[in-house]
Amino acid sequence: MVKVGGRELAWREGMTIADALEALGDPYPYAVARIGERIVVAPGFATAAIPDGAEIFLLPLVAGG
Amino acid sequence: MADFAAKEIKAFAYRRSTIQKGYANQTLHVDLASADVVMKPVSEEMKEIFVGGKGFDLWLLWNSVRGTTRWNDPENAICIASGPLGGTPTYPGSGKSIVCSISPTTGSCIDSNVGGFFGPYLKFSGFDALEIKGKSERPTVLFVDGMNERIQILEVEGLPDEAHEISRILTDYFGQGKPRSISVVSTGPGAQHTLIGCLNFSWYDFKRSRSRLKQAGRGGIGTVFAEKGLKAIVARWDPVTLAMNDPADMETLKAVAKLHSQEIVEQDPKQNQMSSVGTAHLVTIMNDYDLLPTKNYRFGRDSRAPEMGQEVFRSLFDEGFDGCWIGCTLSCSHGIRDFVPFTGPYKGRKVFVDGPEYETIAGCGSNLGIFDPLFVVEMNFYCDTYGLDTISVGTGIAFAMECFELGLISAEDTGGMDLSFGNKEAALTALHQMATGKGFGATIGQGVRRMKEIFAREYGGDRLLMEDIGMEAKGLEFSEYMSKESLAQQGGYGLALKGPQHDEAWLIFLDMVHNFMPAFEQKAEALHWFPLFRTWFSLCGLCKLPWNDVTPPDNKQTAEPAKVMRHVEWYSQYFSAVTGRAVTPPDLIFMSERVYNFQRVLCLKMGFGRREHDTIPYRAMGPVSAEEYDSRADRYDGQLREVHHVDIEGKSTPEKVGLLRRLREERYELLKDAVYDRRGWTRDGIPTVATVKRLGIDFPEVLEVLKAHGVV
Repeated sequence: MVKVGGRELAWREGMTIADALEALGDPYPYAVARIGERIVVAPGFATAAIPDGAEIFLLPLVAGG
Repeated sequence: MADFAAKEIKAFAYRRSTIQKGYANQTLHVDLASADVVMKPVSEEMKEIFVGGKGFDLWLLWNSVRGTTRWNDPENAICIASGPLGGTPTYPGSGKSIVCSISPTTGSCIDSNVGGFFGPYLKFSGFDALEIKGKSERPTVLFVDGMNERIQILEVEGLPDEAHEISRILTDYFGQGKPRSISVVSTGPGAQHTLIGCLNFSWYDFKRSRSRLKQAGRGGIGTVFAEKGLKAIVARWDPVTLAMNDPADMETLKAVAKLHSQEIVEQDPKQNQMSSVGTAHLVTIMNDYDLLPTKNYRFGRDSRAPEMGQEVFRSLFDEGFDGCWIGCTLSCSHGIRDFVPFTGPYKGRKVFVDGPEYETIAGCGSNLGIFDPLFVVEMNFYCDTYGLDTISVGTGIAFAMECFELGLISAEDTGGMDLSFGNKEAALTALHQMATGKGFGATIGQGVRRMKEIFAREYGGDRLLMEDIGMEAKGLEFSEYMSKESLAQQGGYGLALKGPQHDEAWLIFLDMVHNFMPAFEQKAEALHWFPLFRTWFSLCGLCKLPWNDVTPPDNKQTAEPAKVMRHVEWYSQYFSAVTGRAVTPPDLIFMSERVYNFQRVLCLKMGFGRREHDTIPYRAMGPVSAEEYDSRADRYDGQLREVHHVDIEGKSTPEKVGLLRRLREERYELLKDAVYDRRGWTRDGIPTVATVKRLGIDFPEVLEVLKAHGVV
């Protein structure tokens, strides 16, 4: 099981952030995700593998100070 | 401490006004030359039109300076204000002060916002704004003691120059056992010897038993402060309660403050983690999107950037509450305990460092081709204690380094320093030289615009090339984002009133990453709404970060997620609850539009504020060199072919650089037209008479300035 943006999802071997968002039916154009301390930007969603049990945080638009 | 002595020059007893719905309803005016202290009433019209904060500062500054006033003339004023919402202890980010003056580097009006306790303490002491004019011949401290209803002008001896020491000593001296009742504004020795001095505003960190510092960094206001002979301004106030602002509707205020505060507590750990790592989280994100300036903005990415990423700084930051205002749950002012500098006057001594934040990491790190976090921490510490703006220091050294590598200046010109990118020792040497005014560092401390003149005049440097790579506009150094691939951000920088600082418009992600605004009109609309809403925070004494660095969980489902409209609604309720003026989100934009246009006319009065002044260097728009082009050749070739339909077959890289440049410069000029149209300005970038009339700022003196520039 993994948690993506607060939603739980069954984990499978090789699952990426893009896979998880597709499985959740979430089309929002997220720019950044975080797995623990690891930051992943959108172009890397298709290759960023999610470990089993991980929680993925989907960061809001980075808006600057 | 034993050597510190203060002699009273003037004591002024006053009756503190009671705060009414967020306003003290009077301003304080001090002339350092004559030691005159005057209080003036704030009219209802002044509140209606200028709201507070930056609006009040600009109105005081307008009445203080003539069009011929220069930064070091006695009549130039330093104006500091909170705002009607400033000082609210439960609403996150409600402790900002806004400072305005005529800038040494731009010659026009500059505004800079800063955390810390000063603005609220000034207001609770009875003053919505403070204006300081004149110059003192001897080192002077101004003490606003709201608790004892007394203002003192003091001549001081034995007070060190360094900001951390000034804040520590004066907090102890004036605090009388209550250090949290004190906030100190000071600068440092670098401000005396450069044009890029900053102001340090203190806030007392009760848990760590020390004064902490935040900076009003931009535009050299610290240099104006030093020029006036000021060592410090001290405000004293206690206690701080929710009732202090006399809110019109306490229950609504409590309710909306609780909503925003709780949302931050719940959402920040899941989002940007501002409360644990602050803006340092941006470093690797910017790098991955090719937006982190490296080597004087030549490139946006470097494989070493993760060496300065959030994980590294999380491990360096001292754990604990880091709110620069009482009760702010975002609490992003992190710091490092027991850092031991390896150079300079503090070498080998344990110090506390406030920061670093993203801008300092990028400006004093990656932009110098340096990826050593401890080096950045040392630069941060010395910039603060010397009273220097980390952004202008970083961007200035980066420019000098590129000029050195290009052979525009030589080791003979730099006093033997090897200013190659990546040379940490040289960068720190230059910084220490800024504090003493000696050596080549003092030249860097004149800012990028003057360096270009000096390098061309004295060292024969190629002026046109330096105009392309010198990252300043209006005389202000760029803050630390790459804007080459975002036309909207080029406008965000170039069309900002004070110069290229991202606090007015930060549109890179909306434009470049998400492509939410493909048309000129959409970019122009963004360059209308965002600068105006961001301006609103500076009118009220608020920090922008709680608005958009944490968002509601369902924000992405709203029509315009970038605006975070639920928070805009909350801010409307907050304003209404404190001031009693019933407002809606469009009203907030209208308030800002008045002040924003007034500021543009003030720029015009000072000889700036026209289309020609909205020019940016080509480095901010695209690749200056073949090396830059070739490093992203696929991107640029693709744009020439597919976006601009240019046949590039057989073209050399320099030819393609030229083609792309012509197209990008044309687009920037078209953007100016679209933005000026949207703002109700002429094609020369001047507000029309109809615009100032619509906004109710058609004062005779405003119309006179417009008329002098052909706008009738």
